[in-house]
Amino acid sequence: MRINLVWKQYDVLVVGSGGAGSNAAETASEMGASVLLVAKDPLSASDTKISEGIATVRASGSEDDSEDTLSENLQLAGGDLPDAKITSAFAKDSQTAYDKVRANGLRPKISAITKNPDPLPLPMGGHTKRRSIGHKNSGVAFGHANWNSIVKDAKIDYKEDCWLVDIITENNKDDTKSFVGALIYDAQRGELLAVVCPSIVIASGGLSTIYFPKTDTMRGNTGDSYAIAARAGAELIDMEQIQFLPFCLTSPPAFEGLLGGEPVTASYLGVLRDKNKKVILDGVYLRTRAECSAAIMKAVEDGRGTKNGGAYLDMTANKRAPKSGVYFMNFLKGSLPSAYNNVRQAMSKSESQCEDLWEVRPSAHYMMGGIRVDENCCSIGGSEGLKNDGIVGLFAAGQAMGGLFGANRLGSTSLTEGAVFGQRAGKNAALRARNISGMNRLNKKLFIEKAKKVNSLIGQKGHLHASRIKLTIQRKCWENLGPIRDEERLNKTKLFVSKTRKKLKNVKISNSTKWNQGLIEYLELENMIDTAELMAFAALERNGSLGGHVRADCPNISLFSKPYSTIVRFVNNGLNVTRLPRQQTEFKKLIKFKFEEQKKFLGAKILRLMPMILKDRVLEKRYKKIMNIQKSSITVQPGSVEAAFGDRKIL
Amino acid sequence: MTKKETKDRQYLNVTIVTHSEGKDMPVNFKYKKRHDREKPMALDVLLQAQETKLPDLAFRYGCRARNCGVCTIDINGLPRIACRSVVRENDKLKAMSTLPVITDLVVRRDQISRQLRGKIYRNSGGNDLNVDASEDYHELTSCIECYACLHNCPMHEKNSSDPSESNERYEYGNPFSLLKLQTIVMDPVSSNSQKNDAITQAVNLGLDTCLNCPGCKCGIGIDLKGKVVNPLINASKKIAEK
Ligand SMILES: Cc1cc2nc3c(=O)[nH]c(=O)nc-3n(C[C@H](O)[C@H](O)[C@H](O)COP(=O)(O)OP(=O)(O)OC[C@H]3O[C@@H](n4cnc5c(N)ncnc54)[C@H](O)[C@@H]3O)c2cc1C
Ligand code: SF4
Ligand code: SF4
Ligand code: FES
Repeated sequence: MRINLVWKQYDVLVVGSGGAGSNAAETASEMGASVLLVAKDPLSASDTKISEGIATVRASGSEDDSEDTLSENLQLAGGDLPDAKITSAFAKDSQTAYDKVRANGLRPKISAITKNPDPLPLPMGGHTKRRSIGHKNSGVAFGHANWNSIVKDAKIDYKEDCWLVDIITENNKDDTKSFVGALIYDAQRGELLAVVCPSIVIASGGLSTIYFPKTDTMRGNTGDSYAIAARAGAELIDMEQIQFLPFCLTSPPAFEGLLGGEPVTASYLGVLRDKNKKVILDGVYLRTRAECSAAIMKAVEDGRGTKNGGAYLDMTANKRAPKSGVYFMNFLKGSLPSAYNNVRQAMSKSESQCEDLWEVRPSAHYMMGGIRVDENCCSIGGSEGLKNDGIVGLFAAGQAMGGLFGANRLGSTSLTEGAVFGQRAGKNAALRARNISGMNRLNKKLFIEKAKKVNSLIGQKGHLHASRIKLTIQRKCWENLGPIRDEERLNKTKLFVSKTRKKLKNVKISNSTKWNQGLIEYLELENMIDTAELMAFAALERNGSLGGHVRADCPNISLFSKPYSTIVRFVNNGLNVTRLPRQQTEFKKLIKFKFEEQKKFLGAKILRLMPMILKDRVLEKRYKKIMNIQKSSITVQPGSVEAAFGDRKIL
Repeated sequence: MTKKETKDRQYLNVTIVTHSEGKDMPVNFKYKKRHDREKPMALDVLLQAQETKLPDLAFRYGCRARNCGVCTIDINGLPRIACRSVVRENDKLKAMSTLPVITDLVVRRDQISRQLRGKIYRNSGGNDLNVDASEDYHELTSCIECYACLHNCPMHEKNSSDPSESNERYEYGNPFSLLKLQTIVMDPVSSNSQKNDAITQAVNLGLDTCLNCPGCKCGIGIDLKGKVVNPLINASKKIAEK
């Protein structure tokens, strides 16, 4: 059996129908480009649709929220790794980009006073201004708006159940590369699409599925964006920076990895304990996610982990306090409603009431690095200021792109990222298509060769199954490329990756052309392998703890050392890693922050060890104060800096 | 406890109906419980089947948390959201009966969205966006597009069941399509002509079928009869009177 090759021609190909993809397709189409949008999932089903639905809009809470302020917030949170031009673009466009989504039916609550969308009552962690707007129905509200933007005027062609397999480039005379088209597996119709076009927007999301456990991100996050771009020669940036959330559920299986809480919801008396109930981390509510994850994983490593390979989050003292206990429960339930909902369904009553310990363990969530692009979403490469050797015609937006967040992502910024950079990518992709006067003579051979490669897989004999190898990768990446890393593990990852790649030829694939699950699993597996390899190289280059992870064999990267981003790319016969120097924040700010942090830890410990009557009184006051400010029941976004108070230490 | 009883506690027998080239093939699958009291969801069963006996089993899922809406299957003939539906002994897991099956438990979905192509949110630019939407608007936009409501919908059943490739979009509507149209009617930003347009589209999709129908059921509890179907019928009557 062979899958038929079907030729298509468009101005712009958009991959992904989440926030970034929908915005790109709509914008490109408005500019007169003919657009094809493909996605492996049904239209609009994406991380965007399943998110908490909180979006950053500059100056929505106060007029003194300048572009510089927002841009600076992102810079500081990201440990000086973000690209200043990209953070500025984010700050510049957030309002117009958000309004474009609103035009498609997103309806936030409008303030009676300002007559504008009303942000949450408090700035989210790391934001110095109120500017995070929550939405009824969370991400599903964005899902509808994005769906509408594609379906509404019948100009955008779209196909779901389509897997981007590879992109095709041609070498230009001046040694640069240009994008000329892509090969796509249309599983629904059982066809291979050869899409010939001058521009592509890669908006195909993240990579959390290369790990297990992962949070409730979509299954299809198999690193396709990164692997496919890198195979075509694009550079990736900050690929070691993955965000892990520490307090995820360990059982039952249906809930494994899903979010249960965040450091801040452990509240004033929450501590982490090992299987022998010994305290392994206190002052949890002040800690970063990375610190909590590290404490849990260290215990597991020393054989002190719980049954399901985690630790106990003990919040019983909060609950036991006679007066403040009630406040605590309200705080817990109100802060992360969807996470608490997971807990209520997954745990016993006494556990969900915090009368018993929660078994928790870290879980993979979000890729902060990605395809290296400029503020217009064009792929770039090479050293700053020298000749650009990115891929001409390749654009990336959303979680697929890098350069906006660096070592840490501020809460509520990703949905805005999708809108801002989706629109920028769509615009620039359409412009390129417009400016290009007829493509070079089409080199059909390039497409046919790629198609042949895919077809050679159909009916491949073997004793292995891609779906099973995927599970092994998830486990191995967790052990060796997870929240705790050291040189030995990272080298193991490299070895494991190359071994697994060799196994690909023994993977059995059935004969069918239509929705061949084996083929789908194979293609995704290949992307997971490539992505894991790229990440392992970046992680080795990052020889210290920073942002999302802990390097157990190296000292913390001092806040005072020179910041740099890592760049990885595939070269002829291997992988190439380099560093890109970044601009540093003033020392004064950094020293002040360190000092205050230590003071807080001490304070937390003293409080915890006080006699119950005394601390109960202190806590009652405190809860009253925060709950009062939080009258309109503020929600803390999972993954935000607010949710892990200690993540602010990066300041 | 006898040996057999202990063993029974460890396993759960289900039937997974696989599908290929137009043919159904039921497969018996013994789900191995991860602990004695485990009450696995349908998605757990499918994932374990893929891990063990049926490595190429095809099924849709995404979030594992009843948000993305893509994992709907039939359990004993009724549409269920697989990631949040508990499976019991002897249950039968099968592709949704209301949509054409591609492979195993995967159905084709996009003829539904295509039915509304070019028919929603036209010329939405220019209107004042800073108006509050009603609670009803938000109830409708909580729809996760799981298509459970297609079950037993006489309007949807009018569509030809011919799974031919050329059938890119359905002619007759369904509760989901009506819901999408009614959101336009409920949207404070829509102009009157947009609202009227949406109501006319509903009529064109076969709204009259709803007149003799006991009403539809939403997989996540949206009041479809009260908030979608009846308002559309009333509004269409008003337009007709004019
Ligand atoms: C539980 C949760 C809560 C969150 N809460 C918030 C929040 O409140 N605020 C916030 O700002 N951010 C939040 N985030 C993060 C945010 O949702 C995502 O980062 C963002 O939506 C990513 O958007 P995207 O368009 O880049 O990718 P996605 O929305 O993930 O879309 C990816 C698209 O690409 C398609 N695709 C993938 N691979 C391929 C391929 N090979 N071929 C074809 N198509 C492909 C997929 O089908 C999908 O359509 C949250 C994330 C999660 C998981
Ligand atoms: S209306 Fe209800 S049942 Fe129908 S698609 Fe939406 S959520 Fe599912
Ligand atoms: S009321 Fe209308 S939409 Fe609902 S099930 Fe009946 S025919 Fe279908
Ligand atoms: S997997 Fe997303 S709703 Fe079931």
